[in-house]
Amino acid sequence: MGRITLDKVRKAFGDTEVIPPLDLTIEDGEFVVFVGPSGCGKSTLLRLIAGLEDVSGGEIRIDGKPATDLPPAKRGLAMVFQSYALYPHMTVRKNITFPLKMAGMSEEEKKRRVDHAAEVLNLTDYLDRRPGQLSGGQRQRVAIGRAIVREPAAFLFDEPLSNLDAALRVGMRLEISELHERLKTTMVYVTHDQVEAMTMADKIVVLRAGNIEQVGSPLDLYRTPRNLFVAGFIGSPTMNLIDGAEAAKHDARTIGIRPEHIDVVGDGPWQGKVGVSEHLGSDTFFHVHETGLADIITVRAPGEVNHRAGDTIRLSPQMDKLHRFGQDGLRIA
Amino acid sequence: MATQHSRAAARFMIAPSVVLLLAWMLIPLGMTLYFSFLRYNLLMPGNNPFVGFENYAYFVTDPAFQAAIVNTLLLVGGILLITVVGGIALAVLLDQPMWGTGIVRIMVISPFFVMPTVSALVWKNMFMNPVNGLFAYIAEVLGMQPFDFLTQAPLASIIGIVSWQWLPFATLILLTAMQSLDSEQLEASEMDGASAWSRFYYIKLPHLARAITVVVLIQTIFLLSIFAEILVTTNGGPGTASTNLTYLVYAESLLRFDVGTGSAGGVIAIILANIVAIFLMRMIGKNLDA
Repeated sequence: MGRITLDKVRKAFGDTEVIPPLDLTIEDGEFVVFVGPSGCGKSTLLRLIAGLEDVSGGEIRIDGKPATDLPPAKRGLAMVFQSYALYPHMTVRKNITFPLKMAGMSEEEKKRRVDHAAEVLNLTDYLDRRPGQLSGGQRQRVAIGRAIVREPAAFLFDEPLSNLDAALRVGMRLEISELHERLKTTMVYVTHDQVEAMTMADKIVVLRAGNIEQVGSPLDLYRTPRNLFVAGFIGSPTMNLIDGAEAAKHDARTIGIRPEHIDVVGDGPWQGKVGVSEHLGSDTFFHVHETGLADIITVRAPGEVNHRAGDTIRLSPQMDKLHRFGQDGLRIA
Repeated sequence: MATQHSRAAARFMIAPSVVLLLAWMLIPLGMTLYFSFLRYNLLMPGNNPFVGFENYAYFVTDPAFQAAIVNTLLLVGGILLITVVGGIALAVLLDQPMWGTGIVRIMVISPFFVMPTVSALVWKNMFMNPVNGLFAYIAEVLGMQPFDFLTQAPLASIIGIVSWQWLPFATLILLTAMQSLDSEQLEASEMDGASAWSRFYYIKLPHLARAITVVVLIQTIFLLSIFAEILVTTNGGPGTASTNLTYLVYAESLLRFDVGTGSAGGVIAIILANIVAIFLMRMIGKNLDA
């Protein structure tokens, strides 16, 4: 079981309030991702759940039991740190065994659990090495192994992939998702990378300056961003946001349209000059200037479409995919 | 990469300092070696005949020699033990966040700035003196017989004085090492359920291993040649109770004016120091590679 409830949880460092009172429920077995720009308080929130920081107010409940005043080890949570935080002077086996040793488990039980974790994570051949002799991805797996053996109620991940190179990151992303499929344990994952959030999460929590901007499934957030911040944050490349006269036509302060919802057609209502084009093979992204709408409009076109810099093209937004935002930045239904 | 040319130029340019340093070391060493093979006593002027290993034989068979070796080892070992254990304890304490950390740290480090002769005099006259000393006063207040430290326990007293001087050094090195410990490791161990003691024993202490090695190596080098503290407090006495190898060499050459035997003692001291150094490097040098 691993149901985590935050009830009006608040955190202040001195006079600066980094997290204003906040309510959130993480259901058992869910993969929840906290995402937001750096400094939005997502790591602090995770550390509050872990018990590494004391809350300034409010209550944290794990499986219905109050955990606000419990020390980290008593909460039944396991954490994977950004720097992995492996113990450099211990072998991989000793690293993974450490939490079990602290819990005073019997030798057979320790061995059984460590061997099982090593098997799950493909670490069996490395058990006698030290962290210094492992690659980044292997260290990451050791850190996860150290979390798994405790059989925790929930896993907490603090930007675990940010120290890996791009290819490895995609691989580990998949491995963590598969691990979640297999273990069915609650996972709370912090990242600033919205691609990680979109690909892994059951539920995304978008944070800004300690406030929850929106909670929902990846597709909810993509389809119906609640406000301008979420609209700009979720999706890659980012949504085109257009102010002024064009927005007024739709009775909105700002309208948003994603690059993939604009078609390059001969008779579109918008017109502009192609600037940079990014060819990804499957898709091509055009940066279109001088549209009179915004500085740059990004457009996704199929990979084969080719326009040179300076060409004038016409664009047609898919009207049903248009997002409208009011004076206060909130979505207009 | 340096080219052949620039390497040659570099060698040419550092040559003067290398030659100077080498001469600085080799000339005194050579003269000591040379004197150690002569019968050379300032009280008996005249020709100084070559006597082979006679000086060495005299020095080694001197009953004070064995005492000096034992005392040297006791001094070094005792001080190392006190400063390393005390240094770790102080480093753990000073690592805690508390009010007035800056001032406390400066105060902890200050004994290191006091000259050895001065601190030895202060200890001898103001603390350990059986009549006027602070410890004697405390003993009297408590109704006990004052203890004459430097007569009744001369070696232990000197160990105490020198430990007081070197404790700040050990504390400083160990404290900086402690502060370089990744805080995420401590948090991870906290999540893993480690108690304060387990965190110290399993995480902090192994992290300090390298710094402890450095402290032991550096201190051993300096402690093998303790001299000022002995000269000021006990003059090596009573008898030879607090004579170490350095002090014995001094006594031979400058109290008995026997330059030849003194030099022989100096050469033996060099050899012993090197043996200790080799053993130390063997034993704990591994720690530095890791």
